[in-house]
Amino acid sequence: MSAHGTSPPAPQALSPTREAIAMFVRRRAAIAGLVLLALIVGVSLIGPVVYDADPFDIAAAPLTPPGTSEAWLGSDQQGRDVLTGLVYGGRATLAVGATAAGIAVLIGVTIGALAGFFGGIVDEMLMRVAEFFQVLPALLFAMVLATLFSPSLIVIALAIGVVSWPPTARLTRAEFLKLRELDFVAAERVIGASTGRILWKVILPNALPPLIVSATFAIGTAILFEASLSFLGLGDPNRMSWGLMIGSGRSYMLTCWWAVTFPGLMIFLTVLAISLIGDGLNDALNPKLRERR
Amino acid sequence: MRAKCILAGALMLMASGAVAQEPKRGGTLVMGQSVPTSIFNNAIASGTGVMVPGAQLFASPLMHDENWNPKPYLAESWEISPDALSVTLHLRKDALFHDGKPITSEDVAFSILTIRDNHPFNTMLRPVDGVDTPDAHTAVIRLKSPHPAILYAMGPPLMPILPKHVYGDGKPIKQHPNNARDVVGSGPFKLVDVKPGDQFVLERFDKFFLPGKPYLDRIIVKTYPDSQTSILEFEAGRLHIQPFFNRVLELERAKGNAQLGVTNKGYEAVGGINWLLFNNKKKPFDDIRVRQAIAYAIDKNFIVKALHKGLSKAATGPIHSGFPQYSPDVSTYPYDLKKAEELLEAAGLKKGADGIRLKVTCDYYPGDEDGQKRLAEYMKPALKRVGIDVEVRAPADFAAWAKRMAEKDFDISMDAAFAWGDPVIGVNRTYLSSNIRPLVFTNNAQYANPKVDELLAAAEREPDTAKRKAIYVEFQKIVTADVPLYWLTELPYHTIYSKKVQNVPTTIWGTASPMMDVWLSE
Repeated sequence: MSAHGTSPPAPQALSPTREAIAMFVRRRAAIAGLVLLALIVGVSLIGPVVYDADPFDIAAAPLTPPGTSEAWLGSDQQGRDVLTGLVYGGRATLAVGATAAGIAVLIGVTIGALAGFFGGIVDEMLMRVAEFFQVLPALLFAMVLATLFSPSLIVIALAIGVVSWPPTARLTRAEFLKLRELDFVAAERVIGASTGRILWKVILPNALPPLIVSATFAIGTAILFEASLSFLGLGDPNRMSWGLMIGSGRSYMLTCWWAVTFPGLMIFLTVLAISLIGDGLNDALNPKLRERR
Repeated sequence: MRAKCILAGALMLMASGAVAQEPKRGGTLVMGQSVPTSIFNNAIASGTGVMVPGAQLFASPLMHDENWNPKPYLAESWEISPDALSVTLHLRKDALFHDGKPITSEDVAFSILTIRDNHPFNTMLRPVDGVDTPDAHTAVIRLKSPHPAILYAMGPPLMPILPKHVYGDGKPIKQHPNNARDVVGSGPFKLVDVKPGDQFVLERFDKFFLPGKPYLDRIIVKTYPDSQTSILEFEAGRLHIQPFFNRVLELERAKGNAQLGVTNKGYEAVGGINWLLFNNKKKPFDDIRVRQAIAYAIDKNFIVKALHKGLSKAATGPIHSGFPQYSPDVSTYPYDLKKAEELLEAAGLKKGADGIRLKVTCDYYPGDEDGQKRLAEYMKPALKRVGIDVEVRAPADFAAWAKRMAEKDFDISMDAAFAWGDPVIGVNRTYLSSNIRPLVFTNNAQYANPKVDELLAAAEREPDTAKRKAIYVEFQKIVTADVPLYWLTELPYHTIYSKKVQNVPTTIWGTASPMMDVWLSE
């Protein structure tokens, strides 16, 4: 099996990394995404510390339109301030997104790595499991999970994670299938490295670039998923999140556009930022693109 | 300016409606409902989805007007014996079932016993011992004890007269094949077509016993689970009337439409009230001070004015203000945070470092967004102000909530019930200690006060209207002082109708009584 087109593990690891960063920085859209995301995450993390309020408190008369002094962005049908909701709701939304993506990547990489590395019966069985999850309509399955256990942030994150790992698993498996045959892996085998070392220390670092890109996109998908679940009324009613705001304001959309528009906009901007970063990473980490420049 | 124009237009329309127009025969009325109808036999089931069509398909012995007066319907006249232990009904002699067979006292006897033994409201006809049929058009109801509520239990939503030769054929009544289709009724309309879960069609019964009635040729009843769809259908002119409408925002929108009318008349006998249920057997809600404190911390004015936009009415106690037994002379808990905090302190619930003195969960009955879910969500900020942290437990579905209630697995919960014509039918069940049962819509507060049990037992059999009211006045006083639950609002039920619809039903039963006077103008 030939190794053309794939570089062996780099003796000085810094150089390609630096090259990737340089590549990423050159993409204006990616930088814009990064700045936007930093802003959103910053406000979500620092906002509640600086701005002390209860997002569930009755701040104004219900359905107050934006532009009044007691509710700059208006109030929802319960009299809750939309701006406070946006500042406080970001944490839950981002946390669910990140946790769910983390769960999906953890399950996906583990299963994909084992399947790709060992092949044979292990591969067959694990891939059948992955297929089982893939043929289930993901949103429906997540709804069932959220309904079975009363909806809390953890249950929702788990539900999303559990339904969205198969694509990661397939990607990881493909990478492992390809890499396990290469000479540098064979070399490790010859010097008697353990299976664990070969799996996690030798192959995984080389399979990382596409996985990082896919994990980035997974966060965006998970945030959208949380919003969908909340929209369908399966959000955690005790933790303010952008999805919950949209879900509870949904039936008031015709008269109270502000209660759904602003959290919707925040979700849109967050997912857009993550997608831009993902695109930038994809370009920066793709060796073929790098060589072309 | 625009509002003025609409107002002027509405006044003109109202004025034109007020001029006694000659009712016009014919036409098809399209009616909306929010819950689908699965069976049409209201002898064995309750709920608006069966009671509204049931009252069209089956005639009942009596009807009631807007002032709670019983009126002749299938019974031309009736007498109550001096000892109040028997009720004699004199039936119309020309009444026919939809299959052309005559309606006789045998059918009335069969129907009353069927309802007594199968209807979910088990107190409604419990004292009925039997029904004698001295001749084909006389039925005598024998009672074990006086039962004044029977005058309302004989009304259209509660006492359908079924043909014995169809429903008494020996098949179990609850699974009878003619419950869901091929209904043979006795009322002004017959069932001609059913698309389960979607719509059904009622057609004028030409041999109905009241001459010239009904005016309509046809009623098409369509199911719109989503109130926004209903409003859009109204605005498009495809829907004429929808009763039991309780979504605040859509009602507001309908009120702003000059083509539509909105009324809350016709729900007096339904008597729906929603409340916050306390688990009286669970700490700390066994302490009356804690229950009182929570009552003081709830701002009913905010609920009615801000959350319900003035469309509901604050409830003062266990009986709906539209009922003859209602009394405003009760203990009230005006919004007072200071008093609430004092009571909680006195009950030994001290604030922790985080300002929280108590953590509770709050459930709610799913399906009524404005009356239940939003009020449960309101409890969170409201009770936080007195140091109670509320976690709203969203139920997955009705069954999940019902199970929590049945198993008493809750701290506080939103809840509601209808009274259906008489406190004996729909109010007593929530307060009688004998009705603490592992079942939803029973005494789930687990309230037990011997004095209340005694009063309710007496009210059940007191034939004198004034004395009976006095008993209920005392009952309301005691229960509001005990606050086993806290009454929030009367349910904001309204009928939305197109201005084309004339004689919109406004008796105490509203659309759950025969719509034989309704007609459509062009």
